[in-house]
Amino acid sequence: MADEKVMENVPQYDDAVLEKEFQEKRQRQIAEDFAKPFDPDCILEVRHLRKCFPLKKTITGKVTKELVAVDDVSFKLKAGETLGIVGESGCGKTTTGRAILKLHQPTGGQIIFNGEDITHFDSKQMRPIRQQMQIIFQDPYSSLPPRSTVGGILSEPVEVHGIVPKEQVKDYVLELMDKCGLRDYYYERYPHEFSGGQRQRICIARALSVNPKLVICDEPVSALDVSIQAQIINLLKKLQREMNLAYIFISHDLSVVKFISDKIGVMYLGAMMEFGTKEDIFRNPLHPYTKALFSAVPNPDPDNKTERIKLEGDIPSPANPPKGCRFHTRCPYATEKCKHVVPEYREYEPGHFAACHMLEQDNG
Amino acid sequence: MANNDRYLSGKEVRAIAKANAREIKRLEAYKNRKAPESEFLAEMRDPSNILEIEDLHTFFYTEQGVVQAVNGVSYDVPRNAVVGVVGESGCGKSVTAMSVMRLIQGPAGQIVDGSIRFKAYDYKRDAKGNPVLKEGSQTEYEMEEKVYDIAKMPVHEIHRIRGKQVAMIFQEPMTSLNPVFTIGEQLDEVTFIHTPGATKEQARAKSEEMLRLVGIIPENVYNAFPHELSGGMRQRVMIAMALAAEPRLIIADEPTTALDVTIQAQILDLLQDIKNKIDGSILLITHDLGVIAEMADYVVVMYAGKVIEKGTVQEIFRDPRHPYTIGLQKSKPTMTLDDGTELYNIPGNVPNPINMPSYCYFKERCDKCTAKCAGDYPCMVQVSPTHFVACHLYSEEENHG
Repeated sequence: MADEKVMENVPQYDDAVLEKEFQEKRQRQIAEDFAKPFDPDCILEVRHLRKCFPLKKTITGKVTKELVAVDDVSFKLKAGETLGIVGESGCGKTTTGRAILKLHQPTGGQIIFNGEDITHFDSKQMRPIRQQMQIIFQDPYSSLPPRSTVGGILSEPVEVHGIVPKEQVKDYVLELMDKCGLRDYYYERYPHEFSGGQRQRICIARALSVNPKLVICDEPVSALDVSIQAQIINLLKKLQREMNLAYIFISHDLSVVKFISDKIGVMYLGAMMEFGTKEDIFRNPLHPYTKALFSAVPNPDPDNKTERIKLEGDIPSPANPPKGCRFHTRCPYATEKCKHVVPEYREYEPGHFAACHMLEQDNG
Repeated sequence: MANNDRYLSGKEVRAIAKANAREIKRLEAYKNRKAPESEFLAEMRDPSNILEIEDLHTFFYTEQGVVQAVNGVSYDVPRNAVVGVVGESGCGKSVTAMSVMRLIQGPAGQIVDGSIRFKAYDYKRDAKGNPVLKEGSQTEYEMEEKVYDIAKMPVHEIHRIRGKQVAMIFQEPMTSLNPVFTIGEQLDEVTFIHTPGATKEQARAKSEEMLRLVGIIPENVYNAFPHELSGGMRQRVMIAMALAAEPRLIIADEPTTALDVTIQAQILDLLQDIKNKIDGSILLITHDLGVIAEMADYVVVMYAGKVIEKGTVQEIFRDPRHPYTIGLQKSKPTMTLDDGTELYNIPGNVPNPINMPSYCYFKERCDKCTAKCAGDYPCMVQVSPTHFVACHLYSEEENHG
């Protein structure tokens, strides 16, 4: 008898109803947030960003199946700050970066840069904005044109955006090269003559040549050796201090992100799982995924072997994400509720957001 | 560095090509020679080791000159131990491993000098080189333990150890599986090749056992093609394949570099687990100091084709001696590091592998450089029974003491 009673108490989840409720709630939330005024302190504000890629189309061009690469990502970034975005491959961190630059047109949401809503700007309107937002790519071998000299690569954006009068361009570029640790006789050289670290310096110099306010660094040190990595990280930090730059630093390497960032966002399968200041995230990680991610990083200390939180299995395909909480297939604490109900992305401490049912219960 | 910037004249290029052709011809002839077994049998220096690499030189004869990718490398792999090799790209850590497997791409790449002694458990052979049958048996062969010098083995004899006694796990699980065969077919092949007279059923049973060992349910994967699996699963299959012939030594060349951090943790746990199960040794090659600290018992640090420091994991991490090892550890941001304003960095770049200087290769980047460093390349100095370092700072100490 007792067993039957327990069975009755287990709530039954109807996925269709839940899905409808969830969508209505999200629409309300989006409408509410869009109506809010722009935060004047922030250089970049991203509200409910969403990016879908079509997977299947009918003959008439109607999309029947899509991959949600970025789903409802929101954050704010102040001038001179660094936001680190971490996550495993396929979690949408690069797509987020590119959608902010409008290299991918976002499917939904708002991108507010410098007090302007740039979400629906066309390419002509974007041109002056592009001067203020730049990107550094991961692979320094394929992101430099092989047929231009370093001088040519660095002068072109300066000339296009008219940063300085034409006759001063060369002096300006030489000064910039000096700032980025490139010798002046490199001006006449071609990219193939340089090592990976030097090429990454050229990429950084190119991004900074137009005096941007925001630089998106998409895995800038992943392709480099450890000793060169440290040089580039130090250079990025030095330039940030000098030019008051805001960085969005995308990386899968948690130790690098911890070193360089002020704020950190942890992404999983397209959604933000946890967001907060570096201190919040590292001292007091709330989400089980964040905890597991941190414990998986090998510790370079042979005596201090920390106990790992083991995650079973692989990351599900983003084309076909699990229902409910998207982490439930690998979460060691998953319950029946996690399999059906999407957890709310809530603020648990000032400025510290997370999306997990466990936290909701603890905090009432 | 000066030579790096110079373009070669036509005359110089022709001279290099001629010298290369002569050397390559000599080495290829040596590689393809017919030799009796006695010629490549050797003795271990220390019987507790499974692999001893001594003064190995592997060069690449290129159009610009000779690249001394491995230039006098010596280290040992003891039985039941994990030896980690760290170094930056181009330091010769993978080339050393490829030399052990004799997988150096010829004719440009050649093992020039040195010896690689490996303690194998192989068939007893008669004077003609054929396996000897056990007395009174038709299918079982007499086995014995013997030491091969891999560097001196003719290339057609390599199958005695490659894949069977020494197995390798490569960095990219995406490209090291054949896309047109199922996982099952590729795993069975290992058994067919290395166990004479194996039947289909035996091979399948062995493959399934190996898949279970690496934590895969065989029913799901045995008939799947490689593209149907994720990166972590493919790496598991690679490990299963390496284990199928029950090797005594597994060489893992950056086994987790292409994987995500949570999957990396799974694979590292698996390797640790398997080492205990199969009673073998692992030679782990990686550039990640964290992975080394978690996995290895002994560490070898390489720089520009030479071993600059080796010792137990405690010695290398607690008491690093070479300025490069110290710099490498300081320049890596760690999870426990508190927010210093700046990371330590080693200035400059790795020197050009063609035309290496005669003095210490690290001299240009070293902050503890002394007058002595402009002289000869430093030799290995013993700091403790297991700890060796190649640096003039310590050879001086020893002279005074």
